[in-house]
Amino acid sequence: MYGGRRNLRHAALAAGLCLCLVGCGAPAHGPASARRDPYPLPPDTMTVAAPEVGSYGGRFVIAQTSAPKTFNAIMSNEQSSTDVNNLMFASLTSYDNYEQVDRPQLAKSWAVSPDGLTWTFHLRRGARFSDGHPITADDVRFSFEVMYDDSLHPSGQDLLKVGGRQFEVTAPDSYTVVIRIPGRYAMTLPACSAVRIMPRHVLEPAFRRGRFASAYHLGTAPESLVTSGAWRLRQYADHEKVVLERNPYWFGVDTKGQRLPYLDQVVFLIVPDQNTAALKFMSGDVDGVDVVKPEDYKTYADGAARGHYTLYEIGPSLTTNFLWFNLNRWKDSKGGHRAGEPCVGRVKYAWFSDPRFRRAVSLALDRGAMIRGPFFGSAIKNWSMLTAANRVWYDPEVKGADYDPEAARRQLRELGFKDRNGDGILEDAGGHAVSFTLKANSNNEIRIAMDNLIKDDLAHVGIRCTPVQEDFNALVSNLRSDFDYDAMSLGLGVGVPSDPGMYQNFLRSSGATHYWNMRQARPENPVEAAFDRLIEANIGTLEMPVRQRTYRQIQKLLNDQCLVVWLPVQIIRLPVRNGFGNLRPTVLTHRLLWNIDRVFVRSRQRPA
Amino acid sequence: MRAYLLRRLFQAIPLLLGISALTFLLLQLAPGDFLNTMAENPGISAETLEAMRHRFGLDRPWYAQYALYLENLFLRLDFGESFSRHQPVFTVLREGVGNTLLLAGAAAIVTWGLAIPLGVWAAARQHRWADRVLSLAAFVWLSIPEVLSGLLLLLLAARTGWFPVGGMHSLDWETLGPVGKALDLLRHLALPALVVGLVPLAGRMRQMRGSLLDVLHLDYVTAARAKGLDEGTVIFKHALRNALNPLITLFGYTLGSLVSGAFVAEIIFSWPGLGRITLDALLSQDQYLVMGAVLMASAVLIAGNLVADLLLALADPRISHA
Repeated sequence: MYGGRRNLRHAALAAGLCLCLVGCGAPAHGPASARRDPYPLPPDTMTVAAPEVGSYGGRFVIAQTSAPKTFNAIMSNEQSSTDVNNLMFASLTSYDNYEQVDRPQLAKSWAVSPDGLTWTFHLRRGARFSDGHPITADDVRFSFEVMYDDSLHPSGQDLLKVGGRQFEVTAPDSYTVVIRIPGRYAMTLPACSAVRIMPRHVLEPAFRRGRFASAYHLGTAPESLVTSGAWRLRQYADHEKVVLERNPYWFGVDTKGQRLPYLDQVVFLIVPDQNTAALKFMSGDVDGVDVVKPEDYKTYADGAARGHYTLYEIGPSLTTNFLWFNLNRWKDSKGGHRAGEPCVGRVKYAWFSDPRFRRAVSLALDRGAMIRGPFFGSAIKNWSMLTAANRVWYDPEVKGADYDPEAARRQLRELGFKDRNGDGILEDAGGHAVSFTLKANSNNEIRIAMDNLIKDDLAHVGIRCTPVQEDFNALVSNLRSDFDYDAMSLGLGVGVPSDPGMYQNFLRSSGATHYWNMRQARPENPVEAAFDRLIEANIGTLEMPVRQRTYRQIQKLLNDQCLVVWLPVQIIRLPVRNGFGNLRPTVLTHRLLWNIDRVFVRSRQRPA
Repeated sequence: MRAYLLRRLFQAIPLLLGISALTFLLLQLAPGDFLNTMAENPGISAETLEAMRHRFGLDRPWYAQYALYLENLFLRLDFGESFSRHQPVFTVLREGVGNTLLLAGAAAIVTWGLAIPLGVWAAARQHRWADRVLSLAAFVWLSIPEVLSGLLLLLLAARTGWFPVGGMHSLDWETLGPVGKALDLLRHLALPALVVGLVPLAGRMRQMRGSLLDVLHLDYVTAARAKGLDEGTVIFKHALRNALNPLITLFGYTLGSLVSGAFVAEIIFSWPGLGRITLDALLSQDQYLVMGAVLMASAVLIAGNLVADLLLALADPRISHA
């Protein structure tokens, strides 16, 4: 996902900013670092404000632990593909990961009607695809048409609907796109900027023949892969590397009017795992790594001076860690159980469904010990879906039930739990020992270590918790089909922007990632109904104060009910080779490449 | 000979069919499917997942899916399409198979290029220190798991810079001349080929030694020595040719084990072969890509065994497949 927060004030601000920027787009060529530009700049250039004016040449090599699956930006739905495709295909607007605001891209400005239902985007004149063909409103309309195609059903389609109804996209002239939405919708701008602009003149025949999904696959010859973004494909070697080179027609320029990007190439080096990525980085083959385990921070920090690189601390991750209890009920009467019966059985359901029990569990957990242990000190406590990394939505006032084992014991006593047989484990009023399993995926070492600490913490208050590790696929089966678990711990993160609206399926009682009680036909209780009402109110307006109020209520409800028990989030550190100007690592994806169009090689004598 | 070849090829068909059925069944028994990871994305709705499941045919019962797969395979020679890459499975695997064979071939050169001379030397120096040191070294290496030796060599490469840290080509491969390209490829090939090739070395060396010792005790060798021929001529001209027979059979079978050994080394050394594609496909449950990769690897194994039998007939006129 790529895009931005939307509200009237911000849109107007961005549009104003954009007009001023367009005015600065002088056609003059730079002095010392001047490079002969074979193609004239378009009338509407996009001036990119960066701290420094750079010089041309060089490349940036990044290690990627998974190979891309397709170069079709609309059909790509996992990170390894979107990382590459987001550089090759532009959108109406882009997102500034550092400032966390929307920026104009193909659209030089946009306006919203007073009722919030009609959005008019004004496109840049003279913008061209990488083959020199003009990018017009028809290409935008075509890209939306593909997104809405039912047989393709791209994953980005979900965001592009309000109450199940599609947007209406028209192109009154070559440089204007008008989008009418069926109802007020806070996610309009991120939804629209998730639509990557594809070349209609190349792909329409494949689309009409029903072959769009396999168009622009990995075997496509680079010269026939026509892109709309700052980069185009130079070479793809299967399971080895993706090499991008600058799109010679790109409309982005620096403040001196020199065409961007500065770098000749961006190279994604495909490696099997993080350890190889680390070795490649240490041996100088790679300039940056975007995922590092906390246990490796010290090794990287120690080698920084010798290896001519910097370990950037970029703040808390956007990916949350949490556990929850299984409150799902059987939807039908198959497989020896009755519809409506709790999946964990009545005894455990009676504990898990009581917010006081969940609160006691949250109170029993020593999060400080987790931060010191599995995270090696590089983590902070977190009480919300959107972590402290989020400049727009994070609220430091929101707090959950933190470590207080005495309070936890008191709470459990109030619930009637007592150690009746002196074995150190509490029993409920019916004499059942308070014991449950906590499942996690076996390939996440930090999560497993946290679960073991949770086991100890809960033992101190008289609860027996047994951590169980499973293969990810087996875990997902437990999670969504057989509901064979008591409690589970997972992490959750969304793309860009990190907005409550991106968590609709997590918050709605009918949502497929509403883990604790998924896909309810109708809200089972007033709390579930409240979630539905609040998220509806949150995304059904463009008024920021209203959105902030409803989001605060959502967070409070989640924490009061302890439906998710929050665990700490990692603080992210990334190593990047010295000598790259304008490089600004951020927590939002892509952490290193989000502004690669303005990154340049600072010194010619780069250390090996 | 031709009849024998045809018979062997026909025998391979039920074998491959059995392998494909077993693979398919195991994939069905494994929890979850290709859409699992996507299901955990809060931005993707249940309806979208259902639409995708339908598009990939995953909503049909497993026997219907398998029947369709076989139909496409036999009637159209179509291995299906990769879910994640929207590309025909055959296209995805083609390049990987070539790279795996390159690695296995280089490993075979390492194994046999060392096993035969070292085995001969050990046999000629039976029970002397050279024989014992060689045996000890070979068995120590044999007892180190491939994963460990691979990681150790990778670490060596990273520390010293003598060899590249995995991969198949340098970043600037395209700019090199033909000689530079060949040298670059060799540099990248050296460590993984060593890791894969040294595993069967100990066994092959001992076999060479034993086989040669057997022959050296035969009457015709004594006769040759009695004629006054020097030891070199006795061993290399008279004994070795006969002693090689059992090793030629082994050569074909070792080819099979080298291909499977290459799978592990590929993952450690980022070698872009069949092993990495298979692992990726398996982890993401890209059903037809897994099927294709398993069938392809099985075909290579079957071909290896066939080559072994044919080589034997060529080397020893007493054996005939008529």
